[in-house]
Amino acid sequence: MKHVLITAAAAATIASGAMAQEVTLGRFFGACEDAGTDTKASVGEPCIIQSIINAASAEIDGVTVNTLPTDWGNYYDQIKAAYAGGTPPDVHVMHRHRIPEFAGLGALADLSDDLAAAGIDTSDWAPAALDAVSFNGGIYGVPMDFHANLWHVNMDLMAQAGLVENGQPVLPSSPEELLAHAQQVKEATGQDYLAADFAQFPIGVRLTLALMWQQDANIFDGDTATIDNDAARNAVTAITQLFDAGVANPQLNYADSQQAFLNGEAAILVNGTWVVDFYDAEAAKEEVALDNYYVADFPTLFDTGATWADSHMWAIPASLKANDAEGYAAALKVLAFINDHNIDWARTGHMAVRNSVLESDAYANLPHRDEYTGTAAIARDTPPSERYGAIQDVLNRELQAIWLTGKSVDMALADAEAEVQDLLDR
Amino acid sequence: MNRSYAWLVTALAIPAFLWLVPTLWMVSLSFQPNDVLARTTSSTALGLVPLPFTLENYAALFAFGQTPWWFLNSIIVAGGMTLGVLVLSTTAGYALARLDFPFKSAITFACLIGLMVPEQAVFIPLYTMFADFGWHNSYHALMLPRMAVPIGVFLMMQFFKAIPGDIEEAARIDGVGWLQIFWFVMLPLARPAMMTLAILTFLYAWNDYLWPLVSAQQREYFTITLGLASIQSNFAQSEGLGRVMASGVIASLPVVLLFLIFQRYVVQAMTVGGTKG
Amino acid sequence: MGRTSGQFRLKLNERQAALVLLTPFLAVYGVFLVYPFFKGFWISLHDWNLLAVAFNPDAKEFVGLRNYQRVMWGRDIEWGAFAQPFIQLFGLAVIGLAIFLRRVGRVSKVTAIAIGLAAALLFVLPGFHPGEGGRWYDRRFWPTVGNTLVFVGLTVPGVAITALILAAALNRETRAMGLLRTIFFVSQVLSVTVVTLIWQIMFSPRQGLIANITDLFGGSPIIWLTDERFAMAAIVITTVWWSLGIAMILFLAGLQDISRDLYEAAALDNASGVKAFWFITLPNLKRTITLVVVLQIILHFQVFGQSHLMTNGGPDDTTQVLVRYIYQSAFRDSELGRASAMAVFLFVIMGAFSVLQFVLGREEDA
Repeated sequence: MKHVLITAAAAATIASGAMAQEVTLGRFFGACEDAGTDTKASVGEPCIIQSIINAASAEIDGVTVNTLPTDWGNYYDQIKAAYAGGTPPDVHVMHRHRIPEFAGLGALADLSDDLAAAGIDTSDWAPAALDAVSFNGGIYGVPMDFHANLWHVNMDLMAQAGLVENGQPVLPSSPEELLAHAQQVKEATGQDYLAADFAQFPIGVRLTLALMWQQDANIFDGDTATIDNDAARNAVTAITQLFDAGVANPQLNYADSQQAFLNGEAAILVNGTWVVDFYDAEAAKEEVALDNYYVADFPTLFDTGATWADSHMWAIPASLKANDAEGYAAALKVLAFINDHNIDWARTGHMAVRNSVLESDAYANLPHRDEYTGTAAIARDTPPSERYGAIQDVLNRELQAIWLTGKSVDMALADAEAEVQDLLDR
Repeated sequence: MNRSYAWLVTALAIPAFLWLVPTLWMVSLSFQPNDVLARTTSSTALGLVPLPFTLENYAALFAFGQTPWWFLNSIIVAGGMTLGVLVLSTTAGYALARLDFPFKSAITFACLIGLMVPEQAVFIPLYTMFADFGWHNSYHALMLPRMAVPIGVFLMMQFFKAIPGDIEEAARIDGVGWLQIFWFVMLPLARPAMMTLAILTFLYAWNDYLWPLVSAQQREYFTITLGLASIQSNFAQSEGLGRVMASGVIASLPVVLLFLIFQRYVVQAMTVGGTKG
Repeated sequence: MGRTSGQFRLKLNERQAALVLLTPFLAVYGVFLVYPFFKGFWISLHDWNLLAVAFNPDAKEFVGLRNYQRVMWGRDIEWGAFAQPFIQLFGLAVIGLAIFLRRVGRVSKVTAIAIGLAAALLFVLPGFHPGEGGRWYDRRFWPTVGNTLVFVGLTVPGVAITALILAAALNRETRAMGLLRTIFFVSQVLSVTVVTLIWQIMFSPRQGLIANITDLFGGSPIIWLTDERFAMAAIVITTVWWSLGIAMILFLAGLQDISRDLYEAAALDNASGVKAFWFITLPNLKRTITLVVVLQIILHFQVFGQSHLMTNGGPDDTTQVLVRYIYQSAFRDSELGRASAMAVFLFVIMGAFSVLQFVLGREEDA
């Protein structure tokens, strides 16, 4: 026993080390272990964010940043476990939709009074960005982006189907047109019209939600779930008609749907802003079937334009602010550094949050940026809720039940409504 | 060797090969370049032969990866846990098997009833308990819960019970104390059983997933099993299939080697643990 | 205990020695197993939010058995003898079978009672269903238990039968057989994350070896992990591949206890090969088979990693299993009270199987 404790103690000392000021950082986005410190050269979400973090660690005096493991699947479970265990990371990324849950319980530090001193100018944030990180009158994070669902387009397949005009893809404006286009592509190319992850992450949910919002409907209103209705039925059938006609495959997960698009097996991929630079880089490669890549705003199939959107933001635990002034100052420096590199993060394809970046030429000149300028105006999300994660999970399960297991739309929507109502009542 | 035997071996070689295929495939993929794997995983012989060949995945793993660090953690945790289990199990097992003391049968029963409690039924209270102590993200948090599981005590107790009593009596007559008997007489005799227990515990510790998942959030305390789970949950954004597979190979190498070297004890362990546990 | 070596001069009497030797284990056992066990029960009686209670220990609220009700019960629950006719009739049939087997003396009293009880549960439990306008408070719990049972029901026979056949074939002490045994066993030592890593890719419709082979023959690949017909099969296949080893070794040990004479005698009667297996091996292996089956049930009832890592419980919850639901309720939904109630349920089931194992073991010994 003694040996164990000595070994453990020795190892723990080495591990924690007596560094200048170490800032532990929690994030998702995936691992990039050899990102380097060049924030201009990295490609793809994982490597761009890691290069910014590495640069922060190298360039901020007296601060080193220690990135925690980047496990997507268990991220929020692990962050919660860390908070509950009293060992949250000093800074961590999160989605705006989680603020009600985390800030509501007092987990996050209110940064309102300290941002200016740290060199973060909140007046430079776009109003929507400030709104994203505000909760009950306080500012609980530093926003990093807006991200939204886009339509990623393979222009060669669209051209073969006669769906290109003036160098732009022709996109549907009604569910009927959607099906017609899809059949045109199938006949002309033999390939699927639309691919998306309908089987794993809630990308299919976000698609359905967008189509509900386009009919000015939502999944809940205050404390009442509103899922079992015509708006939802219209939204779902707009998608299932594609599966029924055999012009889209519901069984592909995230990686497979992406691969299908890159292999030229689908004309459209519904996915987020986070992959624009990655697909752009892939399309340039000789061996990748996708050659002519274009990005489009999520089309309006019903009345009002809408697409699912969210924000990534960085937060600091309340406990750090309360107990460790130096650690808090160091954490703020890291957030300021990330805020300063908003343009680099925007290279992923995400929309920037700072007016000064949004108006810059560097931003406008990013690849494909001019192709989805309408997205910011139609960005939407569900109403804030402490149970966002569980609600998304309910929707994901019931929608998957519709397209993967043939559950009837009526039953699935009724069940989803009952379960979401349960969650709202708890 | 007669003919039916030869037939039997040949007939079994086919399923045995199929059984090996998944593992071989992992090893083979780990030696192929990532950009090739992104396009096809069946370059040569369905991908079972690593051509085109590269060592890049392993080089990258050791140059930048966290895998070596996770690997080290697993060794510390599995080693520490094994040591702890050995100490606690031999002492308690000996006392329960060979010594007489008040309430012995009640205490024995109390110890063994714990065999009924599955780990999954107590991980939540354990989690809140360690949180209250501020113990999460530490090596002892990863080691302690398993040390409390009485399976080792049970195994050692069974073993000590089977040792003939005259050895002990002879020592007693010579005036040797109980602790000395335990240390100088019993422990050397118990070496095979301890070996068995050690291997069982090490394997368990190396492969445990649920408890590290809830207890360790910091890289410093990730075990290789946990680290590997974090890599595979985001294939799409990961460093490429080859590298992930290389991590898998590295994670498996020690346990496979351990198994091959100590096969005899492992087999014994399974038999004892199984028939009596 | 490194300390004892320094105290060798000290003479302890038997009681003191027992105290010194037992205390370390009892302390660890008490603190890290017994106490958490009771605390788990205590938590299950509370409305206990993971984060809220961590920040403010008074944020929990005693709610008695409400968590159990919320998890396992519903509004207007009724019972009918034919709510799930197939399962319930099967249960009835097994009760009849147990009585019959006991009457003709093929099984002992205890075994008959054990089988009868299990079958009675099979008859009673599926009979509960929400009546007109009623519903389960937690629509996912019982289907999750059902999925776990399906997983166990497919995996355990899969493992046991394959292992038994392999063990019977490999039961010879030669080099070749030793090598083959090693091959079949070695996957057992891999960790769950390596196993799921391998099989996730094996099953992938684009990169998977299985899909590559199907491609070779011009078929269109099965999308294993997201097709409700194949997802459960996929994790069962993975599990059988992974956990065959222990069962095989146990069978081999059991086979070695069967006397060679029996086979030689049978050979004289022209019974060898399959016949000998049926008439000699199986009856003499009854005890080992029971043991393997019970052990495997206990082991696989606690499945977590395969479902968590390969399918995320999907599609449409068809591979959601109990331990994963407990984990999610606790760490995603922060509801420790509900999660603990489910954990207590898990303990009761596992405990029942442990008792069964103990009883069966005792009986065979006697």
